[in-house]
Amino acid sequence: MLQIEHLSKSYGKFRAVNDLSLHVPKGDLFGFVGPNGAGKTTTIRMVCGLMLPNAGSITINGVNALSHQREIKKQIGYVPDFFGVYDNLKVKEYMDFYGSMYRMNSKEIERISDDLLELVNLSDKKEVFVDTLSRGMKQRLCVARALIHNPALLVLDEPNSGLDPRARVEMKELLLNLKSMGKTIVISSHILSELSEMCSSIGIMDHGNLVAAGRIEDVMESVFGSNQLIISLEEGRETAVRIAREHAGVRIDSVGEHELKLSHTMTQKQIAKMIGTMIANDVVVTGFHKQEGDLETLFMRVTGENAGQEGEKENVAESYR
Amino acid sequence: MWLNPIVKKDVRVQARSMKICWGVFAYELILALVFFLAMFVIRQDIRYSYDNIYSQLVWLYPALASAQLLILGMVVPVRTAASIAGEKERQTFDIMMTTSMTPFAVIAGKVMTAILQSMFYVAASMPVMALSFVIGGMSWSYLFWFMAVALLLSFFAASIGILCSSLCKRSIGAVLMSYGFYLVFFIGTFLPYLIFYVIDADNIARVTTYGGPVYSDNLLLFLLVNPIVYVVEFFGHAMAGGTLMGEMVSQFSAGPIAFLTDGYRWIAFSSVCIFALSCLFLFLAARRIDPVKKHRVKHADGGKSAGKEKDADRGDASLRTHGK
Repeated sequence: MLQIEHLSKSYGKFRAVNDLSLHVPKGDLFGFVGPNGAGKTTTIRMVCGLMLPNAGSITINGVNALSHQREIKKQIGYVPDFFGVYDNLKVKEYMDFYGSMYRMNSKEIERISDDLLELVNLSDKKEVFVDTLSRGMKQRLCVARALIHNPALLVLDEPNSGLDPRARVEMKELLLNLKSMGKTIVISSHILSELSEMCSSIGIMDHGNLVAAGRIEDVMESVFGSNQLIISLEEGRETAVRIAREHAGVRIDSVGEHELKLSHTMTQKQIAKMIGTMIANDVVVTGFHKQEGDLETLFMRVTGENAGQEGEKENVAESYR
Repeated sequence: MWLNPIVKKDVRVQARSMKICWGVFAYELILALVFFLAMFVIRQDIRYSYDNIYSQLVWLYPALASAQLLILGMVVPVRTAASIAGEKERQTFDIMMTTSMTPFAVIAGKVMTAILQSMFYVAASMPVMALSFVIGGMSWSYLFWFMAVALLLSFFAASIGILCSSLCKRSIGAVLMSYGFYLVFFIGTFLPYLIFYVIDADNIARVTTYGGPVYSDNLLLFLLVNPIVYVVEFFGHAMAGGTLMGEMVSQFSAGPIAFLTDGYRWIAFSSVCIFALSCLFLFLAARRIDPVKKHRVKHADGGKSAGKEKDADRGDASLRTHGK
């Protein structure tokens, strides 16, 4: 569906996106993650035809997005992070306005917008002025607006920023609903817990580079590399550390007062043998379990370095926009 | 028939707003003041003459018409100057540019809205304007010529405003820049002639005294795009049957200026020039707001990727990890 090859964008000397290559299959809900100034919005703007890259190609549904802008615009629905409103415009007129922009006729617009407003749970707000809606409602309306021409790809840039928890849940449900309908969705967000619940695949950007991309499970495995084991102890911490170090393929991540975190490449049998050795050497082991990696840990690990430069990059990018 | 959605939306939004009512009220109020002032001047003029006041009411026409053109000239660029910059401030511009609307259609929509509004004002003033036709004895055709002139000058003012709007991020900056453009057209178009006149005054005096072709008058051709000269020429023809430009050029003038200052040619050519310049401004504005205007992309496939390509759908997102 969305194929990005060697995409690069610079603002003067500052490289906002650096040789980004990515593939989002049809029907996927792809999450774009990264710290501020990582290049997510720049990438999204290039995909939506709001900005030209310095190098690289973008293909959407088999069509080159850079050379066939007019055709591509029919394939994309874009939801920005901020919802600008026109005063004195009702919800149904708002939908009519954007439907007309895709040269749809009035009857078609009316029929589709009725369905879409029902989908985003705003059917009863058709006659309400847009500027009187709550922020969550406006954002849902914006999604409905982006779907008016039935695009193949829906791109959302930080759709949940500034929303209250209820509105976030509603937005998440809406996106999952769209995903179940087979829409391909690209979403950028800072709220990692929500992304991990919604997205089937992710791309993590940092300093303009795509540092990891793919199915969440695959990325986890590729980044964490080895399994993590947490051993809870009551006594004999030093002995436990010594025994763990004696085993090949074990790396001690952290040592707490009653907890030992290990990364390892051992088999189940080897783990059992090591725990047995600890118990035999008077270490009081109260429990042990395998730790599952989460998106936040993954994000922190791959973007942990150079975190201090984020604000500066954001400012540079903004000044060139 | 497909109506530009921006026009449809803007007209609808304006119609709901009280601004349009206050706008018409202010417009009519200014015209009423001009009317009373003109009546006062006419009465003063005929006090010591044998003229009939009704025949003098014909002068209401240039007074009211020029007042209207002045108001439109001030208001229309403000409307368009605030349009694109306003969309950017409202953050609706990006959404607009991701739709199927071309940049030119967006620009045209904004300009059309401004022109429609100005024509709305002109139409609202017709009863007052009609006085000079009913009582003053003006030919009714001049009423329609005035509307055509108002339409053209509104288009010109709107195109200046929209160009400035596309150049500025803030509405206020765009409005100020529009008035700056006005100065260039009002005063700047006189400058080449004035400068040459000062530098070469002796030679011009000699030529005009002893006869011979005067080519320097061709510098007045810049005035073809001067709206004030255009309006003065128009009223000159309507009221006195003469032309300002005919007075300005020497009897020995040679070249295009001699041809253009004869009869209605100046008005006709000036109309074409102003219209062409307005279209150029629209084109530049459309180009300016087009986010992908500079298509100098070095494609990964060496630029051969135009057209439909086979989407290599591999079923899942390709796993890539890059070192930092």
